[in-house]
Amino acid sequence: MSALLEIRGLTIDIERDTGPARVVDGIDLAVEEGESLGIVGESGCGKSLTMLSLVGLLPNRIRATGGSARFAGQDLLALPQEALRKLRGSQIGFIFQDPMTSLNPVMRVGEQIAEALIHQSGMAKPAAMERAAELLELVGIPSPRDRLMAYPHELSGGMRQRVMIAIGLAGSPRLLIADEPTTALDVTIQAQIVDLVRDLKDRFGMSVVWITHDLALIAGLADRIAVLYAGTVVEDAPVEVIFDRPTHPYTRGLLASLPTLTDRPMTRLPSIGGTPPEPGRRPPGCPFAPRCTLAEAACDAAVPKLAAVPGSDPRHRVACFVTAGEGGRA
Amino acid sequence: MTAGPIITPGDDRPGSLWRDAWRRLRRNRLAVAGLVILALLVLVAAFGPWLTPYDFLSQNLDARNLPPSMAHPFGTDDLGRDVLSRVIYGARTAFLVAVLVTAVALLIGVVLGAIAGFYGGAFDKGLMWVTDMTMSVPQLLLVVVINASLKQPITLWMEARYLETLNPIYRNSAIIDFVLVFGSMALISWPPYARLVRAQVLSIRNRPYVTAARALGLTNRIILTRYVLPNAAGPLIVAVSAGLGTAMVLESAFSFLGIGVNPPTPSWGNMISDGLRVWTNYPHLLLAPAAVLAVVTVAFNFLGDGLNDALNPKGQK
Ligand SMILES: Nc1ncnc2c1ncn2[C@@H]1O[C@H](COP(=O)(O)OP(=O)(O)OP(=O)(O)O)[C@@H](O)[C@H]1O
Ligand SMILES: [Mg+2]
Repeated sequence: MSALLEIRGLTIDIERDTGPARVVDGIDLAVEEGESLGIVGESGCGKSLTMLSLVGLLPNRIRATGGSARFAGQDLLALPQEALRKLRGSQIGFIFQDPMTSLNPVMRVGEQIAEALIHQSGMAKPAAMERAAELLELVGIPSPRDRLMAYPHELSGGMRQRVMIAIGLAGSPRLLIADEPTTALDVTIQAQIVDLVRDLKDRFGMSVVWITHDLALIAGLADRIAVLYAGTVVEDAPVEVIFDRPTHPYTRGLLASLPTLTDRPMTRLPSIGGTPPEPGRRPPGCPFAPRCTLAEAACDAAVPKLAAVPGSDPRHRVACFVTAGEGGRA
Repeated sequence: MTAGPIITPGDDRPGSLWRDAWRRLRRNRLAVAGLVILALLVLVAAFGPWLTPYDFLSQNLDARNLPPSMAHPFGTDDLGRDVLSRVIYGARTAFLVAVLVTAVALLIGVVLGAIAGFYGGAFDKGLMWVTDMTMSVPQLLLVVVINASLKQPITLWMEARYLETLNPIYRNSAIIDFVLVFGSMALISWPPYARLVRAQVLSIRNRPYVTAARALGLTNRIILTRYVLPNAAGPLIVAVSAGLGTAMVLESAFSFLGIGVNPPTPSWGNMISDGLRVWTNYPHLLLAPAAVLAVVTVAFNFLGDGLNDALNPKGQK
C-alpha cells in the first residue's frame, strides 16, 4: 500500500538572532489512505510546526530546512506558495485547537463555511450556503438553517468546534489534520467530537492526523500512534501495540501517567521527571537520555534511529538502544 | 449523537454584534447628546439654503452690526449680512470639508496602512518613514507650504482650462480654495489613520482565525479584506469620529489664519477672525460662530468617547 502522506527526515529550524535553533530533527511519518494517525507528545515537541510546515503555514522566521514530505506523489516542501495555497482546504484540511478564537468574530458562521466553497471551488453564493447548511447538519448542529446566520460568539465551545469541523470538511480534503481540537472543551464534549470525527472519516474515507496530549482520548480514534519527543519520532505502532507493548521508555512513562479505573482514589500517578531539551540545546545522544531511568553510556554517545522491534508487530518501530532488543515486551 | 448546549448571551438574533455596541452607546447620555447635536447640525447644513432666513451674501448697509433680534437672531455683521444665515452656511463649509478630508485621508490611510501591516517589508519601512516625517512637522507649517507650492500651479491650470473651454466654473476662485484646503488637509491627515490601521493589522494578522483562513486556502486579498480589516473597524470608527471633529477645527483654524476658505464663502474660522477685530463693540459677531464651533467640537468628543466605550466593552473595567 502506498502512503498518502510520507514525511522523511523533516527538519525545522527557528531563526534566532544567535543562529538557527532546531525544533524538528528528522521526523519520519507516514499516513496511509483512509488511515487515522494519532500524534502524541509533550507541549513544544514540534507537533504543530510539523503539520503547518506541510502546507506552507510556518510562522515567520521558522523554516523547513531539510527532508521531504510527499503527498499524493508530489513533494510539498518543494511546491511554490501558490500551489500550496490551492492545496490547502481542498486536499489538506485543518481543524485548530481553540474554537473560541479560530473563527472570525465578525462573520456569520454560514458565510465562514461558504467562504472556501465560493473562493476555492467557485461555487455560487446560494449553492454554497445550501451546502453550508448540509455541512452543519452533518456535524450535528440542530436547526442548521437558523445557525447559518449566527455569529461565533452566539455559540458554545462545542458548537464552535463543530463549525470548525464543518469548515475543515467543506473542501472535501483527502487528509484532515486536527491539531488538539478538543483541548479547550469539556470532557463530555471532547468524546462527542472524537466520535464525530471518526464517523466522518469512515463516511468519507478521509485520512486523519489527530494531534493530542491525551493518549486515552485518541485510543478510540487512531489506527496508529506516533510518539514524538523533542522533534523526533521515538515510537510508532498500531494503537493496540502501543497500549499492550509500549517499548520506548518515554512511551511507557506517558502510559504510566494515565489514570486507570483500578487506581485507588488519591494515588499519586507516576510522572516523568525533568523537562525536554530547549530547541537548539539538544544533547549529542538520545534526546530523552537525560530524563531516562534506563539510560546507558551508549545513549549519550549517539542518536538511536527508528527501527523495527524484533518479535513485535511488523509496523512497530522504536528509537531506543536499550529497550528495542526486548522483543517488544514491556 | 447529541449536541452541546447553545449559549445565547443576551440577544441571539443576527447582527447582535453591532446591536450590542449600539445598545451600549445609547445608554451613554453624553454620547447620545453628542449624536443628537451632530445630527441636528448635519440636517441644518444639508437643508441650509431652505432654512436660512436671508441670503448669506446679500448685504444691507442700512442694517449693519445689529445686535441679535427677532428678525436677526444672531444679529448682522459689518456689511449688514444676517449672521445666522452665515453660521448655517459655515456649517455647510465645515461639514463638507470635514467629510471630504476625512474620507480621502481614511481611504489613503486604510489602503497604505493595511498593505504595510499585512505584507511588511520595504513598503512598510518606507511608509513608516513618511508618516514619521509628516507627523513631526507642525501641521500649520505643512499646510502653509503645501498651499503656497500648490496654489500657483492650480491657479494657472484653471486659467488655462478657462481660456480653452470658456467654462465659467474655471473662473470660480472658491473652487481653488476648496481644492487647496481639501488637498493640503487630507495630505496632513492620513498618516495617523495609516498608523492606526497598520498597528491593528499587525495585531490581527497572526490571530488564530487568520491562520485558519489561510489553512482554508483563501487568497491574501480575501484574508485582508474579509478577515483582517473588518476586525479593525472598531478603533477605526472611533478614530474617524475624532478625526471629523479635528478636521472641522482645522478648517476653522486655517480660515481664521487666512490660509483656508476665503471670504465671501462663509466659514466659522473667518467669521471668528472678523469678529475678533470688533468684538469689544459687537461681541455677537465673535460669540455666534465661536459658540457653534465649541459646541460641535464638544459633541464630537462626547460621541468619540461613547463609541470607544461601546466598541471596546472589555476596556471599560
Ligand atoms: N511562532 C513561533 N516563534 C518562535 N518559536 C516558536 C513559534 N511557534 C512554536 N515555536 C517553538 O517551536 C517549538 C515547537 O512548537 P510546536 O507549536 O510545534 O509545539 P507543539 O508540539 O504543537 O506543542 P503544543 O502541544 O503546546 O501545541 C516550541 O518549542 C515552541 O516554543
Ligand atoms: Mg501545538
